[in-house]
Amino acid sequence: MIEVENIHKRFGKVQAVNGVSFRVADGRITGLLGPNGAGKSTTLRILSTVLKPDQGTVRVDGSDVRADPLAARLKLGVLPHASGLYPRLTARENIRYYGELNGLGGQALNARIDELAELLEMREFADRPAKGISQGQRIKVALARALVHKPRNLALDEPTNGLDVMATRALRATIRRLRDQGHCVLFSSHVMQEVAQLCDAIVIIAHGRIVAQGTPEDIRRQTGETDLEEAFVKAVDESGASA
Amino acid sequence: MMRKLWTVFRKEVVDNLRDRRTLLTVLVFGPLFGPIFYVAIMNVAVNQQIANFNRPLKLPVAGAEYAPHLIGYLRQHNTQIEPAPADPRQAVKDGKADVVLVIPKDYGAAFDAGRPATLQLVMDQAKQSAQKNVSRARDLLEAYEREITALRLLARGVDPRATTPLAVETVDVSTPEARAGMLLAFIPYFFLFAAVIGAFYLAIDATAGERERGSLEPLLTTAVARSTLISGKLAAVTLFSAVSLGLDVVALSWSQGLIPAAKLNIVVNFGGHTALAIFLVMLPFCLLIAALLTVVASFTRSYKEAQTWLSFIFILPMIPVFALFLFPTEPTIWMMFVPALSQDVLATALMKGMALGAGFTAISVLSTLIFGVLLAWLAVWLYRREKVLG
Repeated sequence: MIEVENIHKRFGKVQAVNGVSFRVADGRITGLLGPNGAGKSTTLRILSTVLKPDQGTVRVDGSDVRADPLAARLKLGVLPHASGLYPRLTARENIRYYGELNGLGGQALNARIDELAELLEMREFADRPAKGISQGQRIKVALARALVHKPRNLALDEPTNGLDVMATRALRATIRRLRDQGHCVLFSSHVMQEVAQLCDAIVIIAHGRIVAQGTPEDIRRQTGETDLEEAFVKAVDESGASA
Repeated sequence: MMRKLWTVFRKEVVDNLRDRRTLLTVLVFGPLFGPIFYVAIMNVAVNQQIANFNRPLKLPVAGAEYAPHLIGYLRQHNTQIEPAPADPRQAVKDGKADVVLVIPKDYGAAFDAGRPATLQLVMDQAKQSAQKNVSRARDLLEAYEREITALRLLARGVDPRATTPLAVETVDVSTPEARAGMLLAFIPYFFLFAAVIGAFYLAIDATAGERERGSLEPLLTTAVARSTLISGKLAAVTLFSAVSLGLDVVALSWSQGLIPAAKLNIVVNFGGHTALAIFLVMLPFCLLIAALLTVVASFTRSYKEAQTWLSFIFILPMIPVFALFLFPTEPTIWMMFVPALSQDVLATALMKGMALGAGFTAISVLSTLIFGVLLAWLAVWLYRREKVLG
């Protein structure tokens, strides 16, 4: 479970995140939805401990990201917006490096990598240098890398960016499978349809604030729109008008 | 912590060993640039110098028929008399001749009458490569003049020694090792060069490269302290620098056999023990340069930008080397507090067979290590800032 509590973050004159609070439950996919520049990536970077909030905090399964970032990182798998691999290492070596950095090793780590290769269907390219594999395969490796230390919580920042239709479908199927295994998944996107298809709960963020949250039904009700996309546009517009 | 540091170190080493450019730089270009350059230059320079002295001086002479005695003297002293060009001044100006001796028609009359007999040596002061032949010709003429003076004085019943009231003798106390000083002055630069270039690409790859690939942010979300991350990377950069330096020292030590040192009457003290001592004395510089390159590369956004900035660092170790070359001074203790300069001085002293004392070495090693550790701290601090994500 991820608990975001009233976080603020300012970069120079820009208040990127302005009092954001929400909660991501286990066994569900929660979509963090918002237009470009709304504060999605900043929020995810704060909960992945790469940025420190000016105010407020995030707890990952009870570990405070400010007080004990290393403990929080162990409980969290992160797929950042920029999720580069080491091109000269094979897919397997890329995953193993992160496993070792997160304290795994030996036979247990090898078994875990095999397990992930099975789960994410990476068998055929697992031993190829990362520079020679496709964008979709790279996302799979980056996801496996985020999962190698068996974190219960997952934060994925626009993971379907740059993927073709088949790769996007495969990734969605993987994310659902992880949800069904009981993982807590936070999924950021600026694409309404994608969130509507995949997510059990939605948090809409605009201008650094939460403008609506709940199940897709809740959001339709809150905005008085039957179409989710209209609801999204309305929620974002209203926050812009008040801001 | 040590285990994770080892993980980072091993990953950087394995990853960069697979990069052909890095590998070529560390194993071939860095270590061999110095020795090849050195052997080639030395052989060309030494052989040219020796050849010049043994070869007869080719001297075009105009009016040779007016001074048969002088011409005879020159011929006896390894000079090959050649017919002069029609216009000696133009020929020298055009570079067709280094120097031309012009004997005027009235030379014989003046000589016989005991008046100063005029001779013209046509030369070009600005032409550097001609100066050796010019001074050879001038020396010969002066020697001939001294001989004639002595003969004339004897004929008048005067002891020729009256014209030489002083007999200045120079006593050269330099050892053959010390005479090699000029020859050795720029070898330390090759050591410093090898250490810098060995660290160069890995330092960029581990910092700016990591950011450009987008692998930095996920790396920072792993359960590893940033100080551990940077320490592992620094250890790998230092290793590559030390490997390049080690190979360079071995190659330069071995290449001494290819230098015609005996012909120059010098001895270069650069056997196995000296090579090892030089390597150990230079080693702290590897850590320092690794940390310096890492810090500078951490400020840059891309591989290209890092390359540009880091190129300036190649100039840094050159500064003390050139300063010492231009203003040769005795080693003093303050020099040991200046990285690059202290390694330069110590390596030169080792090759000259001079003993500087353990204090010099200790200060150099300690001060360079302290600078290195301070820079490493700075690198860790840079990676703790949020701006590191760019």
